[in-house]
Amino acid sequence: MSDISVGAFYNPHLGAELARATGIDHLAMADPPASHDPHWPAIKQRYTLLLHDYLGQLSEPLDERSIARARSLAELYRTPWVAEHFQCLHTEDGRYNINYVFPPLYTEEFLRRFVTNAKALQARLDQPLVMENIPGFFDVKASQLSEPVWLRRFFETTGAGFLLDLPHVWLEAHYRAMQPAAWLAEFPLDRVVELHVAGVAEDDDLQGPWIAPAAPSDEMLDFMGLAVSRCPRAQAVTFDAFSPSLTPEVLLSSVERIRGAL
Amino acid sequence: MSDREIQDSVIRALADAPYRASPEWRGLALADPARLERFARFLARHFYHERLVHFFKYSRALARVTGRRPEAVLHSAGFDALLSTAVLGSRATARAVAALAVNHVRPADGAQPIPYLNDLLEYEQAMMVVEAGPRVWRDAGKGEGGRGKGAPPELVEGTVLLDLAYDLPTVLPKLLQPWTEVPQAAPLRVKLLIARSPHGRVTVARADAAVASVVELADGRKTLPELAREAGLRSEDLDATLAGLADLGAVRFATGS
Repeated sequence: MSDISVGAFYNPHLGAELARATGIDHLAMADPPASHDPHWPAIKQRYTLLLHDYLGQLSEPLDERSIARARSLAELYRTPWVAEHFQCLHTEDGRYNINYVFPPLYTEEFLRRFVTNAKALQARLDQPLVMENIPGFFDVKASQLSEPVWLRRFFETTGAGFLLDLPHVWLEAHYRAMQPAAWLAEFPLDRVVELHVAGVAEDDDLQGPWIAPAAPSDEMLDFMGLAVSRCPRAQAVTFDAFSPSLTPEVLLSSVERIRGAL
Repeated sequence: MSDREIQDSVIRALADAPYRASPEWRGLALADPARLERFARFLARHFYHERLVHFFKYSRALARVTGRRPEAVLHSAGFDALLSTAVLGSRATARAVAALAVNHVRPADGAQPIPYLNDLLEYEQAMMVVEAGPRVWRDAGKGEGGRGKGAPPELVEGTVLLDLAYDLPTVLPKLLQPWTEVPQAAPLRVKLLIARSPHGRVTVARADAAVASVVELADGRKTLPELAREAGLRSEDLDATLAGLADLGAVRFATGS
């Protein structure tokens, strides 16, 4: 029996089911609770809550307003750690925004930026910071380092924890025509605190698989088992699905299957 | 070119279809064009799916009567045709996508089972367009948004004043509750102001006569006394109205720069 916490994302439209569910240890919070959410008091009382909101992109320093928001949410959730993503999704002048997780260039300059700004954020938080890997659908020729090397250097310099998103690794391996286990082995798994697991689905625009609020396949669960065995500091596995289209059956059965596979 | 500038050019290429097709971008040769195009199309559908589901949630709630879900347009030929000119987050593209949704939901034969549907669609379209446009992602700490002493107020670009024939504000929350009979809105002329803060927060407020006058007259040139005189407002009433409008992000104060 694993002592790893198994959980899911809080999907407000499933609040009633989550308030009375069994077998879920924690809930990740992608959005603050709505003021009119009738299930929030029960959810807050019952679960360990993980802050997993958009706080800002660490290619730039977070401003005081964003830091205050992060601190306020961390206090509200009593979160054991604060999560952000390795992302850079809007231009520096704010003019263009793709509104979707997108990785930075893996260069020395971006490494310095992320390290500096993560350290500044860490200094203002009362909880540890964990950072999640983001998949690239295409390579940008200006990158200088491989993603795993860049991440390892970030974690070594900042001491932050690694939130390892397994479908993201699986997708990158798929689009690189690599074995997922081989690609996974390059990442700094000794830094992993939490893992994300979910399904993937075919996308017509991408003409291939991509992130989806779907149940993990048996292959993905096997991949999770392999990953967890190589992450000695892992404390939690989260079913990473947050969508109004998610059904209670998929959420509850996915958590149950994740627990069964650990 | 710094790495940050290169990243910005990649983000722009993903968001801005005309730029993606330009020699300026292609000359950089930073990514495989076919893969980038596929990802850009994926992003566009995702971007406007989120906005249609959010801003057209009321007509979405009425889909069991109208038979039309607004977000269905994302898989239409009309949306595909927009992709070659779309700029994610621009008002022009927001307007074009919202128009597709409006035309999809509005009955083609003129039959109108929901009397206030036209007002509702106009409201939802306005919300989506007002939300668009560049935004402030980080406060620069330079005190932006302050009110210049006595400076002429001007309407912030994108702010909309809607003149509706039905009392929409009373029916909107009911549409999102469980219902069997379609909730009805009373025929009543209502003016709604829709504005966006620099950080992107969209706010709706009922507009009284004073608000409507100031919104129509604030052009960044009229002085406060001129504005008060033309709007027929006392100075203190104008100040209170302008303060409320500034809080909503509907007006700012011209600096002359």
